[in-house]
Amino acid sequence: MIEQYTITTTPKYNFPQSNIDTILPQRFIEQSIQSLKQVPPQHIQLNQHNFLQYHILEQHPSHLRLNHTPITLNPNHQETTIAAVDTSTIKIGETATGIIIAIRGSTTWKQHKKYRYTRLGPFIFHITEENKNEVCNTLEQAYFGTYYYNNRHTSPNFTQMPTRLASLLERWLQTILAKTLSKGLILFDGSLTSGTSDAPVQRMKEILSLARNNQSMVLAFSKMTSLRVNGYLITEQLPKHEPPYLLETTGLRFKSPLIPLGNVYVARLNKSKYAFRLDIDKETPIPQRMSAVEKLLGNDLHMQGYPETLRLAHILCTFTANEVLAIKHFITRKHGIQIINRPDMHKLLFGPFGKGEIYS
Amino acid sequence: MKLYKKEGNILQILSFSDENVEKGDYLLVEDPDARKALIAQVIDMQFANIPGVLEELLRTLPDGGEPIQGEDIDPLEIAPHITYIQDASMLICKIRATLENELLSPSSSWLPSRSQSNISKLSVPKLLKLADVEGTRPIIIGGTKGASLLTIDASSLDGRLNIITGKKECGKSHLSKLLMVSLISYKATIVIFDLNGEYSNIGMTADGKRNMHYHKIYALIPAKNFKVALEQLHLNVVMGILIHALHLPGTSAREFRRIWKTLKDSGNLTLCSLGEAIQNLKCNQHVRDALVSRYHALVNSGFFTDSLAEATLLEEILLKSKEEGGAIVINLRNTSTIDRQILVEYVLGKLVDSLQSWKLKAVFLFAEEAHLYLRETYWDDIVTRMRHFGIFTTFITNQPDTIRESIYRQADNIFLFNFTNEHDLDVVSRASRVDAETVRSIARDLPPHHCLTLGKVVRDFPIVARVRNLDVKTMGETRLFFNDKK
Repeated sequence: MIEQYTITTTPKYNFPQSNIDTILPQRFIEQSIQSLKQVPPQHIQLNQHNFLQYHILEQHPSHLRLNHTPITLNPNHQETTIAAVDTSTIKIGETATGIIIAIRGSTTWKQHKKYRYTRLGPFIFHITEENKNEVCNTLEQAYFGTYYYNNRHTSPNFTQMPTRLASLLERWLQTILAKTLSKGLILFDGSLTSGTSDAPVQRMKEILSLARNNQSMVLAFSKMTSLRVNGYLITEQLPKHEPPYLLETTGLRFKSPLIPLGNVYVARLNKSKYAFRLDIDKETPIPQRMSAVEKLLGNDLHMQGYPETLRLAHILCTFTANEVLAIKHFITRKHGIQIINRPDMHKLLFGPFGKGEIYS
Repeated sequence: MKLYKKEGNILQILSFSDENVEKGDYLLVEDPDARKALIAQVIDMQFANIPGVLEELLRTLPDGGEPIQGEDIDPLEIAPHITYIQDASMLICKIRATLENELLSPSSSWLPSRSQSNISKLSVPKLLKLADVEGTRPIIIGGTKGASLLTIDASSLDGRLNIITGKKECGKSHLSKLLMVSLISYKATIVIFDLNGEYSNIGMTADGKRNMHYHKIYALIPAKNFKVALEQLHLNVVMGILIHALHLPGTSAREFRRIWKTLKDSGNLTLCSLGEAIQNLKCNQHVRDALVSRYHALVNSGFFTDSLAEATLLEEILLKSKEEGGAIVINLRNTSTIDRQILVEYVLGKLVDSLQSWKLKAVFLFAEEAHLYLRETYWDDIVTRMRHFGIFTTFITNQPDTIRESIYRQADNIFLFNFTNEHDLDVVSRASRVDAETVRSIARDLPPHHCLTLGKVVRDFPIVARVRNLDVKTMGETRLFFNDKK
């Protein structure tokens, strides 16, 4: 029963609040509990592979040009709030009818030279072929007023469900930040390419629009990219120039239904040898984009050229092995699901050559 | 609790915080199929090697000196489960015995089922009952962790060599008083070499009233109420004093023996005549000088007298205590090193005489900081030869390295108080009835007044107990300069 669980009230961000609905994702909790109740009294098969965490994947490459003339950046120390969002999901184990997954999201922000965070979750779901549509639709409807089937022709792939639910939570957290943060910087993990199941065009546009209305800027950092120019990754074609700087790309086009909502840059933010793909809302004027990156430079730390706020968001939502054990303990104790080890057929058949399935 | 590993006679058991297990506790690892159980004692506790704990700790690390402020919204309340897993501990346990059909055997040669074994705490009373520790003459040592009492059998001290050791001010003397009082109540004869004069009043309650043992305590102060007439002395005892305590060379000893016999035969064995005889002795000058210096040492001790009225008959006191039990406290507090050795030689010689002639059945000897008065050769004598005569010694010391290794090897019972010094623990762990891991691990963490009892008194099941209070007048308090306690 829902009322058996403590559902806390609105998290109070440390920046101006607007009159919008920022309640906790109660539907996540309801769906989580509901799905766990549907697990028949049976054993759960432990995930035999390493604790695999899913993240939103990079999009397909395209024709692209990279301007090798750097745009020099000067750190702007004007006090600016920087916020970041990330989510993580992990498969806990399998049941006879489905999988048990956990999802967690985190938002971090730096304000007045201090970092703060809010972590949401973990939410635990038992996903089956039977309930996967219901879970998706209930959550989509609850937060975005849409049904999954309204936007897509096919039902969600079973194995994609962990990523799907995590991205749902991530978009919701991004929406909340875009609604609440004024004159700040919002850092996303990944790109601003829309048109996928995890990044629907309309939803992404709404988030960017909300941020613009609040005079905030969305900067999306990709830890890895598949975008190449002349066969080389754009992040590995760095000119001999003193960082920090940006390299501009042009001509980015994707095949339908993918739509880039941002302009793609290569950002080298400090002297470390790493550069990252940076997507900036293409609806914003170029001077504002540069100003935003300069404010980021002046207000946040950068380890290996990556913003600390975003790094913290990632670290805080990641599941540790210890937490996975605790989640198993929780589902065993609270829901009576017994954990057993079925033999790993790869190991059983191939001995030391049986490495198990490799998830990509 | 879950059985994780067995290596030799060490078990590793996974335990969670709500199971509330501590060092020193006993666990029963029951294998229902084998119908046997292992009895193991927790000798150390470690954090279980939980994967991901380092990452968990790292991300809560302070940021620039201050922890990152934040809020965790955990609607399913997973956090307590994370804490539960993180706080899991690995109990390192030493197998002490196997329990089969209610019978104990010291075997650890079988392997209980890892998945099917039931692990539970074994209470001290149950363990003591299984091991049949209490016997017919119980001595309550104190309380164990589970509010139960550690009771040993006085018979298990009988004929045994015991050591009470621990660092300063942790309760060694208190325990030895407790053992003495308990033994007296079982009509035992006790002799105490009281180095600091703290046992004289064990016949008094803390508020200064006489207790039931008052008439059984004979506090002897050398040169005051404890003197010996030469006439009462047996030549062997005197020779022992001269050779061992006063290091008289062989030739001079022969001369002294001759003088003594002559005086004894003539019925003129007094201090005065002995002095004159030595002075008038026609012999090598060095021999005479040696005898003169030893004679003066004997006279200056004040312990010897010519007056039979002044003399205390140790033998009489021993015989008195033989009937109803009693303690002869030899107060060595204000005696010099030489006098101390003279006294000890005399008392031990007298005891051996009485025991050899079956005037006494047996004596419990309590020797505090014995290295300060016991000659080298006596150590082995006490634990081997004298034991056969019926002298059962308890050594009490805060310097365990002053007791010879051979004593530790033969010790039957060890009452071990807290030690933090590795060297001290090393010394004690040489005892044959003790395993080094137990001593090192448990003794280091013992609180004051808590004692780890090892050996035959506890049937080789080491047990920690808080030594119970004793209503006797304390005399062992250190004199302080700043004694104005607030």
